[in-house]
Parts: sequence; structure tokens; C-alpha cells
Amino acid sequence: MSTVLEQIEQQIAKLSHKAVKKNTGVIRAVADGVAHIDGLSDVMYNEMVQFPGGAIGIALNLEQDEVGCVVLGDVSQLKEGDEVSTTGRLLSVPVGEALLGRAVDALGRPVDGKGPIDAKETYPVEKIAPGIVARKSVSQPLLTGIMAIDSMIPIGRGQRELIIGDRGTGKTTIAIDTIINQAKINKVGLASGDPKFRPVYSIYVAVGQKNSNIVRTMSALEAAGALEYTIVVAAPAADNPANQYLAPYSGAAMGEWFMENGKDALIVYDDLSKHAVAYRQISLILKRPSGREAFPGDVFYLHSRLLERAARLDGKGSLTALPIIETLAGDVAAYIPTNVISITDGQIFLETDLFNQGIRPAVSVGLSVSRVGSAAQIKATKQVGGKLKGELAQFRELAAFAQFGSDLDARTKAQLDRGSRIVELFKQPAFNPIPIEQQVVTLWALQKGYYDPFELRRVMPAAASLREYFATRKDALLTKIRTKAALDAEIEGELKTAVDEWKGSFAG
Amino acid sequence: MASAAKAASELARLLFRASFDQGALSPALVGGVLEYVEKHHAGQATRVLQAYARLVAAEEARHRAVVEHAGALPEATANRLAESLGRQYGRKVTVVTQPNPQLIAGLRVRIGDDIYESSVTGQLAELSAGV
Repeated sequence: MSTVLEQIEQQIAKLSHKAVKKNTGVIRAVADGVAHIDGLSDVMYNEMVQFPGGAIGIALNLEQDEVGCVVLGDVSQLKEGDEVSTTGRLLSVPVGEALLGRAVDALGRPVDGKGPIDAKETYPVEKIAPGIVARKSVSQPLLTGIMAIDSMIPIGRGQRELIIGDRGTGKTTIAIDTIINQAKINKVGLASGDPKFRPVYSIYVAVGQKNSNIVRTMSALEAAGALEYTIVVAAPAADNPANQYLAPYSGAAMGEWFMENGKDALIVYDDLSKHAVAYRQISLILKRPSGREAFPGDVFYLHSRLLERAARLDGKGSLTALPIIETLAGDVAAYIPTNVISITDGQIFLETDLFNQGIRPAVSVGLSVSRVGSAAQIKATKQVGGKLKGELAQFRELAAFAQFGSDLDARTKAQLDRGSRIVELFKQPAFNPIPIEQQVVTLWALQKGYYDPFELRRVMPAAASLREYFATRKDALLTKIRTKAALDAEIEGELKTAVDEWKGSFAG
Repeated sequence: MASAAKAASELARLLFRASFDQGALSPALVGGVLEYVEKHHAGQATRVLQAYARLVAAEEARHRAVVEHAGALPEATANRLAESLGRQYGRKVTVVTQPNPQLIAGLRVRIGDDIYESSVTGQLAELSAGV
């Protein structure tokens, strides 16, 4: 018997002679992606409802004599008087490794033209975040490959670290760099055959972005060989607000699958400002009371329930979240930024001024903080970069002060000189994450004053040359630093010999 | 505009609650409500009465099971159905039968917002959605 016939037979067998009960309602009004429905007396909050023509919706407003539903699909086919029925199911999306390397919409349907996704499981989009007992404190590093972050604002697996800044300051670039770095680490780790190695899978959720930007991001991931470890959830600006509202939750559900199955995952929400705007739109159409900046009263809960789902679970895996928030004119005290800052475990603040000065990534060290990440930082980075944040903060203060006076004492001049070198050293091109062992070597050389003889503009090329030298000639030492994750006397001795060798060969 | 609609709907709900006598809609009280609206809320009458009519229709639908059937439906079966639905919903249910050849075979019962589908058409629709 052909498989098609078998499938039909099975379906027929499933159809019992018992009557099927459906709870129904009738559309009273449809506008802007929201349907107001009479009836549906048994509908549950957040339940999926079935519209004619295959469109589905979610019941978001359960009122005395009507139900407000957001429609996830083509609204133009719906009209007043159409019958709607409950499904008894919460909205779910496909999850699992089958989604890796794919781009899906907010409902988990493929949008990359690579055919259907063979996902075996589904997870509900809305899920209560893990409780206190199930959690474990953050202690394993999640390396971004960005020196300024890994050394001064370290991120741990299971942490929520906000990336915040004005438009065009490189927020997405930091997130993409982090995803690329995970892929690079995964490749090395999986090839090493180390049974203790835990790969990190990434989920990139694009909310309200231009389609062209999403394509560019996917191309960057593909070019870096990171797409195979990444799921892209796309709810572009052209998508209806309901899909934009749902996409982060769908991405979180996909990430939770990895976490629940003892794996580690990273999720990027790009960005939650647009997510809040999409939710405001839905709420206003649903006629929910509006508050500050016309956002509904539960806009804090909108993000807190999402970000609380990122965790490190005891005996299982972890989900690390990197939400992105776009500020206007650097105003971090606005409504949505302050909400998300208070929910997350720290923030990476990007400054327009720094960006325009050519300091990229434009991380503002003074305003950036990681509340739990230092526990996850590897010992080697702590050894070489432990004092950097303080030195850099001191430098910024002195630099501001030095603008007003010309006569500076030798100590101040030395501090300013060192600060400028640190700033130079932390400049890093986009989509070019640096492996942690290379970061350690670079910072060790800074600590020992190897860049001091060079002119300021030569610091960056010198550091690049040092890394190149180590990558081509000192692979064994790099592997040793990576596996030991700490600098002992033996490694330091080898480092000194190798860096001295490099210094002899580098023209300066 | 929105608040006027809300006020009309509130009033309709209030009047609807006042239209019950011993747990059932009373035609006399409904008549009284119509008079009251005409006399005291003439400006809002259309809006109030539309909302009121919706509530009354929904209440009636809760007590009336519309049974669509493809073949012949013996009276005994209809009575048994009314009895069984009355037991299930805990209220008196009257059965209205409607022949519907499009069902091919079987029944479709609609009571209030609920639909019980046991027709061949319904099963075929489910089959086509599943394959």
C-alpha cells in the first residue's frame, strides 16, 4: 500500500464516530489585525482560535460579551459574520535541532525557501519561566570574541545582558559577532572530541527590522559559517504587529528546547524597543487602557516574562539572552530602556560619540556593567584584564580633566598614555571575533608594556601582528592557554619567550 | 463615541438582567424593557436595543438546540437528544430540527456557542485538513 493511502487510512481510523465538540463565535468587527468576536464562551486566555480560510488567531482580550483576538495571517479574507472556533490548544512552535540553519517566521514556518522543517516536537510560545529551585547560578563563560566585553563586561551562560545604544552604534554587530564566535568555538570544540565540551546554539530574533537588514545579517552569518548553528526568527517591519509581538516568545521557546535538553543556547532579541511598539499597537487596537507614552500597563511584564525565561538550569542546559534596545539621543532613562535595564543582569552601553571617534565597538566602559558575569570569567582573562576597567575609567576622568590644562605631571601623562593604548587595543573590526586565548596573549602583552615603545597609531597593527604570529607559529601555546584557562609560571615563561621573539620580528 | 457605546452596552446588560423571572426570560418583562427604553432612552434606543437583542438572542440560543440532520430524524431521537443535552447543560433545552442534505449523513447540533459535529461532511472536512 502506498504511504499516502496509509496516511489516509490512519487519519480515517482516528476519526471516531463520537461527535466532535467545538466552541464557536462570530466575528463582529475586524480592524488592523484584530478581530472582535461574539460568542467563544469557552475560550481560554492565549488560546489559538481558528478563523475561516486557515488563518489562526490568539485570544488576548476576554471581555464580558466579546473576545478580542489578534489574527496571525491574512486579515483581508475575514469579514463580519464569519464563524470562528476554539482549538483547545495554546499557540506552539516547532523546536529542535532541525531548525538550525533555517529562517522561520513567528509561527516557526520556514521563510528561507529551503523546504519544510522536519521538527519532531513543539513547545508552547508562552511558558512560565523556571522557578528558583530549578536555577543554578551563572558560572560558565559565554565568550563574545569582543575583547572589550570579554575582559571588562564578561557574560556568563544563563545571563541576560542588555545591548543598548542609539541607532547606528553597532548594537546588532556585537550580537552577530557573539553568534559568530559561538560558531567558531563550536567548530573547534566539536573537532577536539572533548566529551566535556558544550556547544552554544544561537537564535537570532529580528523584530520590526527591514527585510534587507535581515538578509544582510543572514549573509554575514553564512559567510562566517555560523548559520548552521543558528536559528533566525524573522518578524520584519512588513509583518503584522501580532507576529512582531509573538516572535521573541517563539524564539524563547526554541531556545528553551536546547536548555531543557541539557544544551546551551544564546538568544538575541533585536530589538525589544520595536517589540514594545508592536505590543502598544495591538493593545491600543484592543482598546486596553494606555499609560506612559501610550504603552499599556503591562509593558513591563511583556519583557520581564520574556527575559526571565533565560536561565541556567540545575542539571540541564542554559539560555543566555542578549536583548537589544534602541535609545533616542542616548536617553537611557526613557520608559522601555529603564524597564529592560532593571530586568537584565547588566548592560553594554554603546555611545554615539565613541562610535564617531572611530572607537568601535563603541562600548562606554563607565556605563556598562555585568552583574553576574565576573563569576563566569576565566582565570586567565582575570589575570591579564582584571584592572583594565578601573584604569580605563581613570583615563576617561583624567582625559576630561586634561582638556583644560596643558601642564601635566609625568604620572598623569603616563596614565593618559596607557589609557589611550588600552582604547586603541580594544578597537576591533566588525564580524571579526577574537578567540579568548588570543585575547589573553594581546592583553598580557599590554600588561607587560610590550606596546609602550610604539606610536599610538601603531598599537592596533602591532596587536594584530602579535595575534597573527601566535596563530601561525605558536598554536601549541594557544591551545595550552585555552585548555588550562589560567596563566601559571610555565605558561608565562613561554609567553615571554614567544612575545620577545615576535617583538624582534615586528618592524614597529 | 466609544464611551457612548460602552454606556449603551452597560445599560443593555442591566436591562437584560432585569428581564428574568424565576431564572427564565419573561416575555412580559422584555416588553417592559422595550417600553422603558423607548420612553427614557429614546436618543440611545437603537444602540441599547441592538446590544439588548444580542444578549437575548444568545440567551435563547443557550436553551435551544438546533439539530441539523441529513436523513430522517425520528421524534424519539430528538426527544432523547433534548433530554441528554438538558442533563449535560443543567437547563431546559428545546430541540429544533432542520433538514440539511449537505451533511450527507449524520447530525450537527448547535446549542449556544457549542457545536457538536457528527456528520460525514464534518468528518470529511477534518480529514482534508489533516492530510
